[in-house]
Amino acid sequence: MKKTTAPISLAGELDQQVAQQTAELAAANAELKKQLAERRLVEEKLQQEERELKRSEVRKAAIVDSALDCIVTIDHEGSITEFNPAAERTFGYRRDEVLGRPLANVIVPLSLREKHRQGFARYLATGEARVLGKRIEMTAVRADGSEFPVELAITRIPLEGPPSFTGYLRDITERKRAEHELRRSEAFLAEAQHLSRIGSFSWRVATDEITCSEQLYRIFQIDRDAQVTFELIGTRIHPEDLSVFQEHIERSRRDRSDVQLEFRLQMPDGAVKYVHVAAHFRGDHGRREYFGAVQDVTERRLSEEALSKARSDLARVARVTSLGVLTASIAHEVNQPLSGIVTNASTCLRMLATDPPNVDGARETARRTIRDGNRASEVITRLRALYGKKSPTAQSMDLNEAAREVIALSLSELQKNRVTLRPELAPDLPLVTGDRVQLQQVILNLLRNASDAMSTIEDRPRDLLIRTEPDDTDPNNHDRVRLSVSDVGIGFEPQATSKLFEAFYTTKNEGMGIGLSVSRSIIERHYGRLWATPNNGPGVTFSFSIPCNPEGLTSDATHASRIPSASDAA
Amino acid sequence: MSDTTPIVFVVDDDFSVRESLESLIRCEGLQPQTFASAQEFLDYPRVHTPNCLVLDVSLPGLNGLDLQGLVAHERTDMPIIFITGHGDVPMTVRAMKAGAVEFLTKPFNDDVLLAAIRTALERSRVALSLEAEMQILRDRYASLSQRERQVMALVVSGLLNKQVGGELGISEITVKAHRGKVMQKMKADSLADLVKMAARLRPEAGAIMAA
Repeated sequence: MKKTTAPISLAGELDQQVAQQTAELAAANAELKKQLAERRLVEEKLQQEERELKRSEVRKAAIVDSALDCIVTIDHEGSITEFNPAAERTFGYRRDEVLGRPLANVIVPLSLREKHRQGFARYLATGEARVLGKRIEMTAVRADGSEFPVELAITRIPLEGPPSFTGYLRDITERKRAEHELRRSEAFLAEAQHLSRIGSFSWRVATDEITCSEQLYRIFQIDRDAQVTFELIGTRIHPEDLSVFQEHIERSRRDRSDVQLEFRLQMPDGAVKYVHVAAHFRGDHGRREYFGAVQDVTERRLSEEALSKARSDLARVARVTSLGVLTASIAHEVNQPLSGIVTNASTCLRMLATDPPNVDGARETARRTIRDGNRASEVITRLRALYGKKSPTAQSMDLNEAAREVIALSLSELQKNRVTLRPELAPDLPLVTGDRVQLQQVILNLLRNASDAMSTIEDRPRDLLIRTEPDDTDPNNHDRVRLSVSDVGIGFEPQATSKLFEAFYTTKNEGMGIGLSVSRSIIERHYGRLWATPNNGPGVTFSFSIPCNPEGLTSDATHASRIPSASDAA
Repeated sequence: MSDTTPIVFVVDDDFSVRESLESLIRCEGLQPQTFASAQEFLDYPRVHTPNCLVLDVSLPGLNGLDLQGLVAHERTDMPIIFITGHGDVPMTVRAMKAGAVEFLTKPFNDDVLLAAIRTALERSRVALSLEAEMQILRDRYASLSQRERQVMALVVSGLLNKQVGGELGISEITVKAHRGKVMQKMKADSLADLVKMAARLRPEAGAIMAA
């Protein structure tokens, strides 16, 4: 500004003052404008913050409102200040119904309210919080009075002033039920494993990690806390079975084959257990694992062994018993001719010692001695045929041919007894599978019996009929063949029929009862039957009928198979 | 063989045994009689000559021990010798307790058997002769009258004639007369003799008196 040197008039001072004030005003204006601008900024900022706050509120409300969990806030008196929609739904109250009411009265069951109140009071008094910041489970009550389990987490809201709290609650009814079911299911499974003595396991091949069920620990008698490794398992396996076990493990490592294995365990105390292991490979998600089960089959094995032993004991006892009976019978049978031999020989000596010697008498006794000796040996022979070690052989044979051979052998004896033999052997008789020698013995026995039965017959010809024919009386329609021997002899009493086949029973003066018993056994082992019927006229017919191809007997030209002998059956 | 030749019965179902025994017994000068079953034997009439029975234990139908049970009481004149193909101790004991002469197992020694047979036949002879004596006594006693028997009974009990008279209500003289008759009929030589006879008759006397 240009400085003026002359004293200016008053008007000039005024101008100066106005100018100065104007300048000051302008400055103040500018200051105000500046402040205004600043204020506007602050206001804008405030508005922005308000908007932010609103947005934040909206976001929070969205979170709270859409939360699945119940979110409840309470003040320092325990009254509800917030109650989100989930809480509304869960507990069955509208928000406006519960605001301001004590939480305890709303959601805590009557029986637990006191405790809740006490806890709350204690916290307020001591600052000691038992339930803050932890997940706890408790029982809550709905508007309709029904109680249900909830999971609860309470935090303190970090603001100054009197405390307020937020509680997050979750209805865990479903979860509890599922947990319960799972526990039951697990218990069920464990019980089942225990009862069936099955322990389950999984084996992760890559790491040899083995996970076992409770029962498995029990079976192997391994401590629950011990880590199950192959090494540990190895200590429980019976030394004799260890190498087999290891082989299987190695094989399973290499391939993916299922495991089916039975072996023995040996417990630390020496007790032996039998186990059966089955496992199946699962290779999902690159994890190669075997899932399997081990069953303790000791009891079953032991009882099987006991049963088997009992059976063989029984068989042995039966054999011994029947052998004992047999021995007694044999002894008895053999002693008869032996007695004859001894007595005849003694008589012979006496007769020779008389004066003059009774040579004719002596001769007679000597003849009888020979006859009795033969008789004794016959007993032995017949018994050996039945009970001997030699296995009978089954062949395909012609019964007619066998019969003809027997007839040829006995012809002279029959003729000596004035017996007229009339054979009626059917032509085209089917072949049968059987032991030729044994069947011939039966035929011989029947012929002899018939001859004996007629030894006292004088008033009619001693006709002996031997007949073969196909037998079509089989109920299953299998081919059978029948052979009958008929005599015209003295017959037998009806009561004696059952006794006839008893071992060592005889009604005849000549011959031995043992013949029919042995014969019947032979026929029965050919899956046939032997029986006797009185004739319409005098005498008796003995018949046997055997199947041509009995099941259980196979005929092979090169390889004769076994007919079970009596020693097998015993 | 004569009627007085002792008879040996043989019951055994085995023909070898029967024939050989028959031969042996005949060789010894005795009379064998063989049967194949107990029933056949029981059907045979009783004999009055000394006899014995060689019996097998195991027979069809009625076995030897049961047969012994049947006949032992009746036929005291027929001692029994058992032979058997197999014997056990209880069987033996039972047979012997029931009065068997011997129990032999087959094959048996012929000397032992023949010795047993001879013993048995001797027993039989004694039994038969005792029986014969008894029969004579019985006949004699049967010939006594009622009164004579009463007198005999009282006399052998030691009563004097007078007492007898008192008992029976008859006179002493009558008693004496009866007594004489008794002595005569019984063929007793003395009172002592009569007493012995009475004693022997006593078990049967009750039956005879009742008759």
